[in-house]
Amino acid sequence: MTAVAIDLPATYLTERQTVGSWLLTRDHKRIALLFFASITFFFFIGGFAATLIRLHLVTPQGGLLQPDIYNRMFTIHGIVMVWFFLIPAIPTTLGNFLVPLMIGAHDLAFPRLNLASWYVFNLSGVLLLYMLLMGGVDTGWTFYTPFSTAYANGYVTAAAVTVFINGFSTIMTALNFVVTIHRLRAPGMYWSRLPLFIWAIYATSLVMLLATPVLAMTLLLIGLERLMGVGIFDPALGGDPLLFQHMFWFYSHPAVYIMILPAMGLVSEIVACFARKPIFGYTGMTYALLAIAVISFLVWGHHMFTAGISLFSGIVFSLMSFLVAVPSAIKVFNWTATLHKGSIAFDAPMLYALGFVGLFTMGGLTGLMVATLALDVHLTDTYFVIAHFHYIMVGGAVSAYFGGLHYWWPKITGRLYPEIWARAAAILMFLGFNLTFFPQFILGYLGMPRRYYAYAPELQVWNVLSSAGASILAIAYLMPLVYLTWSLLRGRHASPNPWLATGLEWQTSSPPPKENFARTPNVTTEPYHYDPETGACIAQNGTACA
Amino acid sequence: MTVLRPETQYATLAQQGEAAQLGMWAFLATEVLFFGGLIFTYFIYRAAYPADFANAARDTELWCGSVNAALLVTSSLSMVLAIEAAAMGRQRAVLFWLGITAVLGIAFLAIKGYEYAADYRHQLVPALNFLLKPGYRPPGELFWIFYFTATGLHAIHLTIGVALVLLMLVRARIGTIGPLYYAPLEVVGLYWSFVDIVWLFLFPALYLPGRG
Amino acid sequence: MLVYVIGWLVLLVLLGLEIGSAFLHLGALGPAVQFCIAATQAAIVFILFMRLRGRASLKWIFAGAGFFWLLLLYGLSATDYATRLGFPTQP
Repeated sequence: MTAVAIDLPATYLTERQTVGSWLLTRDHKRIALLFFASITFFFFIGGFAATLIRLHLVTPQGGLLQPDIYNRMFTIHGIVMVWFFLIPAIPTTLGNFLVPLMIGAHDLAFPRLNLASWYVFNLSGVLLLYMLLMGGVDTGWTFYTPFSTAYANGYVTAAAVTVFINGFSTIMTALNFVVTIHRLRAPGMYWSRLPLFIWAIYATSLVMLLATPVLAMTLLLIGLERLMGVGIFDPALGGDPLLFQHMFWFYSHPAVYIMILPAMGLVSEIVACFARKPIFGYTGMTYALLAIAVISFLVWGHHMFTAGISLFSGIVFSLMSFLVAVPSAIKVFNWTATLHKGSIAFDAPMLYALGFVGLFTMGGLTGLMVATLALDVHLTDTYFVIAHFHYIMVGGAVSAYFGGLHYWWPKITGRLYPEIWARAAAILMFLGFNLTFFPQFILGYLGMPRRYYAYAPELQVWNVLSSAGASILAIAYLMPLVYLTWSLLRGRHASPNPWLATGLEWQTSSPPPKENFARTPNVTTEPYHYDPETGACIAQNGTACA
Repeated sequence: MTVLRPETQYATLAQQGEAAQLGMWAFLATEVLFFGGLIFTYFIYRAAYPADFANAARDTELWCGSVNAALLVTSSLSMVLAIEAAAMGRQRAVLFWLGITAVLGIAFLAIKGYEYAADYRHQLVPALNFLLKPGYRPPGELFWIFYFTATGLHAIHLTIGVALVLLMLVRARIGTIGPLYYAPLEVVGLYWSFVDIVWLFLFPALYLPGRG
Repeated sequence: MLVYVIGWLVLLVLLGLEIGSAFLHLGALGPAVQFCIAATQAAIVFILFMRLRGRASLKWIFAGAGFFWLLLLYGLSATDYATRLGFPTQP
C-alpha cells in the first residue's frame, strides 16, 4: 500500500488519539466504545463461569468442581451476567452511541456524567474482581437472607457493595437518557416521530430510575446486617426474611425488563429496515413499551410463590404476571405483521432479529406457565425456570444485542463486516442456543433442581445435550470476536448509509464526526418511511435514503 | 467577568439550565424510592409490633429531633432566599444566605452528633452497645436499627448538601454564578430542600410514637 | 419574597402542632394525623421552596412519580402482609 496523502475529514475516532483524549472524553460515541470494552470483558468472565458449570454437569455426580466451588460458580455467573452484562450492554454501548444521533442532537444532556458512569461501572468491576480473587460468594445472585446475612461463607458484604456501586452507574446512565430525550430532540423530532429504539431506551431508563434505588437500599440493609451481626431481616428480633425478598424482587423483576426492552427496540429498527416496511402499529408499539415498563413493577411476587407469601397475594401477582404478557405479545404480533408482504433480506442483523422473535416468544410462553400458581409449585427452582429466563435473556436479549452490533457496525467503525461469516455465526448461535437450553425445559419438567451440583443419573442424557449445545454456542460467540476485529483492519470502508435505512444516524458519515452533524438536522418525516410498493425510502430529515 | 457559553449540545444557557433542573428532579425521584424503600420496612414492622415501636421511640431525644426539624425548615428558607438574590443579581445577599444555610446544616449535624453520643450512653445502639431493657421485647431493637440506618443516611446526605452549598458559595464569590446563569444554585437548592423533606417524614416516625 | 417567609412560619406552626398532637391521647389516629401534617409540610416545601408552583407539568410528573411508585411497593406488599398467617411472629 503506497502512502498517499489523502485529506480525510476528521471522525470521532481520528479526532485526537492520545490515551488521555479517550479516558477523559466527553464524546458519547467514545464513551460507548469504552463501555463496549468493559462489557465484553465481563461477558467472557460470566461465560467462563457458565462453561465450567456446563462441563461439571456432564456427569451426574459432578466431579469437576467441589460443591462449594460449584455454588460460587453459579453465583458469579448470575452476578456478572445480570449486572455487568445484560443490564448495561445495550444501553451503554448502542444506547450511548445512538441516542443523540437518532434524535438529532450533538451529545447527551450531561456528557461528564456519562464519563463518570463508566468510571463508576469500572470501580464496581474492580471490586467484583477483588471479591472473585478472594474466593467469591455462594449465595446465588439473589442473596436470600438469612443465608446471606448469617450463614454464608463468602464475601457477601463485598458483593453487596459491588452491586450497590454498579447501581449508581445504571442510575446515572438512565438519568442522562431521560433528560436528553425530553430536552435535546432536534426541531421536528416530535415524540410521535421518535424511532422505536429511542422509545425503548426511554422506557428502560424509567424502569432503571425507579427500580434501582430500592435495590440499593436492600443491599445496604443486608450489608449492614452481615457486617454488624444484627439487622432488620433477623427472625430472632421479629424480622421477616421475606421482607428482603419483597424488596429484592421489587427491583429484580423490573430489572429483567431493563434487559429486554432495549432489545425489543433494536429488533424494531432491524426488522423495519430488512423487511423494507414501516413497523406495523407504531403507536401500539410505543404504548406496549410503556405498558411493559409500568406493569413490570406489579409482578415481583411471582418469584416468591412458594417462599411463604399468602395465597391471596400469590393470586394477585399471578394475575399481574399474566397481564404483562399482553403488551409483549402485541409486540410479537406487530413484528410478524411487519414481515408480512415485506421484501425480506436475510442479512446477519435480520437473522439475529428473527431469532429474537422466535426465541423470545418461546421464553414468554413458558413464562406464562411458571406464572400459573399450580404449575409453579412443580416448576419453581427447577431447570424449567432456568430455561425460561435464558430463552429470553440469551435467546432474546443477547441475540438482539449481536444483531444491533452488526447492524450499526458500519456506522460505529466505518467498516463493513464479512457477511458470510456473520450469517454463519448467527445460524450457529441459534442452533447452539436451542441445543443448550431446550433440554433444560425437559430437565425441569422431570424435576431436576437448579443450583444443585449433582443430579439423578437418569437425567444425564439431557445434561450432555445441553453441554454439547453450550460448546457450539461458545464457538458462535467467539466467531464475531474474530471477524469483527478482522474487519477493523481489513474490512471494506462503509458508506454513510450501507443499509439504505431511514434513521437520522444514517444521514451522517460512517463513522460520524465528533459533533455528529455539521448542522442540527430538521426532522420532517415519520420513522421507517419505507414504501413497500415502490421501494422508495425517505430518511427522517426528508431526503431520500442514499 | 467570564463569558458564559452553553455546552455544544445546548442551543442556549436557558436550555442548559432547564435540563440541569430536570436532571435533579429525576435524581430526587430515585432518592424518594431509596428512602421510601427504607421507610417501607418501618411501616411493615410498626404495623406488626406497634407497642414495641412506641416503647422504643419514647427513648429518643425529642428536643434534638424537634430543634433539628426547625433548623432544616429554616435552612430551606435561607436557600430559596439565596436563589432569589442570585436572580436579582444581589451578590452579597447570595453569599449571606448561602452562609446561613451552611451554618444551619452544620448545626443540625452537631446536634445529631450529640444525640448519637447520648444514645450510645443509654445503650441504644444495636451491635455496638445495645441492652434490651426490662419491658422491652426483641422487636424494639428493630426500631433502633431503623433509627440509626435512617438518620445515618440522612446525615450523610446532609453532609454532601453542606459541601455543595459551600461549593456554590465559592462559585458565587468568584463570579461563575450570577444573574445570567444560576442554574447550579437552583439545582443544589432542590437537593437541599429534598433533604429537608426526608427529615420532615423521619421526624414523626422516629420521635413521636409512644408519647401520648 | 414575603411568601417564602410566610411559608416558613406555616411550616414551623405545623411542626408545633405535630409535636403537640403526640402528647394527646389520639390512639391509632395519632400516627395518621402526624403523617398528614408531614405530608402537608412536604407539599409546602415542594410547591413553594422547590418552586414547583406554576412550573411546566413535566417536573410535577417527575416529582410525583417517585411517591406514586412507592405506593405500588407498599400496596402490593400489603396484599401479602395483610393476609399472611405466619406474620407477625412472636419472637
